[in-house]
Amino acid sequence: MREKRWFPVLYMFLVTAAFSSVVIGFTAVTRERVEANERLAFEAAVLAVLPGVYEPGLGGAEVHRRFVEQVSEPDDASGGAYTLRQGGQIAAYALPFDGQGFWAPIRGLIGIAADGKTVTGISFYEQTETPGLGAEIVKAAFRNQFKDKQLAREGQPINMKRPGAELDENDVHAVTGATQTSVRLEAIINRAVSEWRSQVGKGGE
Amino acid sequence: MAPPVAKSDMRKIALQGLWRDNPIFRQVLGICSTLAVTNLVANTLVMCTALVFTLSLSAATVSILRTLTPRNIRMMVETLIIAFYVIIVDVVLGAYWPAMRANLGPYVGLIITNCIVMGRCEAYGNSHPPGEAFLDGLFNALGYSFILLIVATFREVLGLGTFLGSPVPFFGGPAWDKWVIMVMPPGAFFMLAIVVWVFRSIQPAKEEKAK
Repeated sequence: MREKRWFPVLYMFLVTAAFSSVVIGFTAVTRERVEANERLAFEAAVLAVLPGVYEPGLGGAEVHRRFVEQVSEPDDASGGAYTLRQGGQIAAYALPFDGQGFWAPIRGLIGIAADGKTVTGISFYEQTETPGLGAEIVKAAFRNQFKDKQLAREGQPINMKRPGAELDENDVHAVTGATQTSVRLEAIINRAVSEWRSQVGKGGE
Repeated sequence: MAPPVAKSDMRKIALQGLWRDNPIFRQVLGICSTLAVTNLVANTLVMCTALVFTLSLSAATVSILRTLTPRNIRMMVETLIIAFYVIIVDVVLGAYWPAMRANLGPYVGLIITNCIVMGRCEAYGNSHPPGEAFLDGLFNALGYSFILLIVATFREVLGLGTFLGSPVPFFGGPAWDKWVIMVMPPGAFFMLAIVVWVFRSIQPAKEEKAK
């Protein structure tokens, strides 16, 4: 049988089927844990953009506790954003955004203060941009730029300028060597902010 | 299952993998991961563990199937086996240690194309019984690991003043002006070159001796 011309085809087919089934089984067994981890990464990302509820290095249980206690789920008044409330009033919004990055979707959140204008932070919970280039968006050096920026009322809410350029109150520096990631991320954030504004009516006071 | 390996054979396999044919400073294989994951000792340890697991088991599996696998498709089968073990590592990390998986980024997945793994499966696993193939994979992976750990230790201590994240005496203190370049990509090239140079001076190749 081994000399038959179809033997390699059959062999490859059987070997692939055998190994794949083990991998599929293994993935199914760990699915719950993986999903719980993803959920935690999301909750940490929400907390990270809201003022005063997060510091780096929090354990998973603490992240979950703070998320459950302090963050309200999106409702009609928040235009799809998670909110931090103090005394029943919205203190800050955590607006989710997602869209196609250079390789795969980029998903994250932008924090906006109650005035609908001041950015309180930005974070990502899913991205697979190029390590060392596009993936620099998750580093503090890039993300910290957004804090206290003022979303523009006219034109684009946020602009990404080339590294080294002079910045206005709604500009941040793009990532060096990652034009595609920067351009796409700029569009993703601006689309999310514009849609959110049209829903909560924070467009032009 | 695997026939017992004679003690003398085991010594020979160990010596070759760890020293005489060391994958890094002798064969200069698997350099991309050496450069990429050695800025922190903790990342390096996990990467090395993943490689030890993948290399020893895939060499043994290739060896078990070697009499059955048609020669003309053996490389496809080897790649499949290697990918199988790497995916297992990746899934385990994703489920139990997501922070480490994020640190290592794509490099766990890239073990599939690590030349050491394919090289040992082709050069050894294909033509030796499973027990020996397993040991050969194990010692080659350990040979890779100890060089990586040397590189990583120097990079982390000189660059950040820490070892496994905790400050070391002197280098962690104010007296030491941290060489940040050591934890950036260029530092990997400097360190790797120095390590290869030092080890090749201690143990010159036969052809170099003959000159």
